[in-house]
Amino acid sequence: MANQRTTGERVDSRNTTSDQTLQPSTHPPDGRSPLWRAHNVMRVVMLCYALIWFTILVDDYAYPLLGTAVLVVMALWTAFTIHRYRHRSGRTNRLVLADQVVVTALFAICALVMTDDQLKAGLPTVVTIWQGSMVTSAAVQWGMLGGGICGVVAAVGNLLMRGLIDSNMAMDTVLHVGTGLLLGLASDTAVRSTERLSKALRAEAATAERERLARSIHDSVLQVLARVRKRGAEMGGEAADLARLAGEQEVTLRALIASSPPEPDEDGGQDLAARLQALSTARVQISVPATPVPLPVATASDLFSTVREALENADRHAGDEARVWVLLEDLTEEVVISIRDDGEGIPEGRLAVAESQGRMGVAQSIRGRVEGLGGTATLETAPGEGTEWELRVPRPESSDRQHGSGHRGGVSR
Amino acid sequence: MIDVSVMVVDDHPMWRDGVARDLQERGFEMAATAGDAEAALRIARTVRPDVVLMDLNLGDTSGVEASRQITQEVSGTRVLVLSASGEHSDVLEAVKAGASGYLVKSASAEELVDAIRRTAMGDAVFTPGLAGLVLGEYRRMAVAPDSGSRAPTLTPQETNVLQQVAKGLTARQIANKLVISHRTVENHVQSTLRKLQLHNRVELARYAIEHGLDGDDSEK
Repeated sequence: MANQRTTGERVDSRNTTSDQTLQPSTHPPDGRSPLWRAHNVMRVVMLCYALIWFTILVDDYAYPLLGTAVLVVMALWTAFTIHRYRHRSGRTNRLVLADQVVVTALFAICALVMTDDQLKAGLPTVVTIWQGSMVTSAAVQWGMLGGGICGVVAAVGNLLMRGLIDSNMAMDTVLHVGTGLLLGLASDTAVRSTERLSKALRAEAATAERERLARSIHDSVLQVLARVRKRGAEMGGEAADLARLAGEQEVTLRALIASSPPEPDEDGGQDLAARLQALSTARVQISVPATPVPLPVATASDLFSTVREALENADRHAGDEARVWVLLEDLTEEVVISIRDDGEGIPEGRLAVAESQGRMGVAQSIRGRVEGLGGTATLETAPGEGTEWELRVPRPESSDRQHGSGHRGGVSR
Repeated sequence: MIDVSVMVVDDHPMWRDGVARDLQERGFEMAATAGDAEAALRIARTVRPDVVLMDLNLGDTSGVEASRQITQEVSGTRVLVLSASGEHSDVLEAVKAGASGYLVKSASAEELVDAIRRTAMGDAVFTPGLAGLVLGEYRRMAVAPDSGSRAPTLTPQETNVLQQVAKGLTARQIANKLVISHRTVENHVQSTLRKLQLHNRVELARYAIEHGLDGDDSEK
C-alpha cells in the first residue's frame, strides 16, 4: 500500500510543479531551462553594461533623446522577454524570432543616434554588447545551427554599421558566431541528454510498477490458485478437473510475472531463455540456463515461434497424457534447443501417412525456419518413444555473448 | 518412512500451513514451520529436521543464504528448495550453496512426497529444470574469463546424462538409453552437483581471503 500512496503523490505533484522536475510523464522536461536562466541573467548584465556606457557618452550623441528612447525600449524588452523565457510556454519560436528583429532594429537605430566620429572611433553603441543577447536566445532555442546563423547576422549587422574592419570588429565577429555555435551545441546536448534521462526514468517506473504487480499477484492470486489446485486434486472427480485448470493458470501467471517482458538490451539482443519461459505449462517443462541467452531479436523471435509450433504439434499428435520437455543450451557459437515429448511417436513406415495427415507439413515448416537461420533441425522418433526435435542454430558473429551479465561471476552471494 | 521430519519455510502462511497439513496427512513428522530466513536458521539449529523445505522468495530475507547456513551448520539436515518457477539464478545459487534439490511449487503432491523421501535418503532431487540450470552453469564456467583452470568441468558422459534428465527421461530410461547401470546414472548426477558445490565453497573461501573477510565469523 505504501507503494500505491507514493504513486498517488507523484501524480498529484505532476500537476503543480513546473517543467523542471523530472517526471516520467509523456511531457518530458525541458533540458534547456538552465540555459534559459543563464541567458536571462546575461541579458540583464549586458543591459547594465550598456547603461554605464550610455551615461558616459550620452552628451556627445547626435540625438541624445533617441538614444534614451532606445535604452528605454531595451530595458522594457529585457523585462518582457525575461518574463516570457522564464516559463516553458513562453519560449516560442515566434518570440525568439521577434527577439532577433527587435534587437537588430534597435541596433540599426544606433547608427542615427551616434555621430560619425563616434562610430569611426569604435566607441560602443547604445545597444553595445546587449546585441549579443539575440545570439544567445537563438542558440538556446534553435541549437547550434540557429545559434550560428544568428551569430553571423549579428556580426554582419555590426560590420555594416561601422563600415570598416579592424581588430575590434574581427574580435566581435568571432565572439558573436562563436557564442552562437557553442551555446547552440550546449543546448543540443541538453535536449538530447534530457530525452535520454526521461526515457530511462520511464523505463524505471515501468519496471517498478511491474515488480509491484508481480509481488501482489504472488502474494494473493497465486497462493489461492495453488491451494485450489492442491485441494481439488485430492478431492478427485470434477474438482480434479477444476484443479488442473487452476494449476495451468497458476503456471501461466507465474511465467508471466517471472519473465520480464523481453525488451531488447542495449546491443539489440534478446534473451531467448526469458522468452521461452512463457511457453511453460502444467504439461510443458522448459529448462534453461540461469544466465541470459542473448540473440538478435529476429533470431530469438524465429526460434520462439519454431518452438511454439513444435509444442502445438506435440499437443495435437502426441496424445492427451503426453508431456513435453524443452531444453535450451548455449554453446557460445551455437544455441541448441531440444523438444522432446513422451507421446506415441511416429511408427516406422508411417511417415508417408503422417505426411498426408499434415504432420510432415509442420516438420517441414520447422526445418525450413531453422535452416533459414543457418541451422539444422533433426527429428528422432520411434513407436511408443515419443518424438524429439533437436534444433541447432549458429549464433551470428555480430552478437557477442556477454558472459556473466547480471551474474556474480561464479561466486554466489 | 514415518520418521522423516520436515520443516517448512515459506513467508505465506496459507501456503505454509497447507503444505504442512498435506505432509502430515501423508505421514511425515512436521518438525516446525518458519516464515523467514532468520527464524528458519534458529529453529533448524534446535529442531534439526531431516529435510527443510525452503521457499527462496522470503520477502526481504534471502532463502539462498538460509540454505547455505543450514546445510553448513546443521549436520544431518538437508535442504530441498521448493520455489516458484522463473527464479532461476536464485535456485542455482541455493543449489550451489548446498541445497540437495529443487522442485517447482506447481509440482504434484506425489512428486513432492517422493522428492522429500529421496532428499532424506541423501539423494539429489534432479528435476529437468535443475538439470538445465546446472548444465548452463558448467557451460558458463567453461567459457567465463574469470574462472580460469579452477572451474570444474563435466565429463562427456555426465553432460549426456544431465541432458537426458533435462529432457525428462527417468534414471531408468537414461540407463537403458546409454547402456549403463541405474546406479551409474545416479552417481553421475550426484557428482555434477558435488563438484559444483565444492567449487562454490572454494570460490567463496578464495573470495573471502582475497577481500580480507576471513576474520568475519558470521559464517561459522
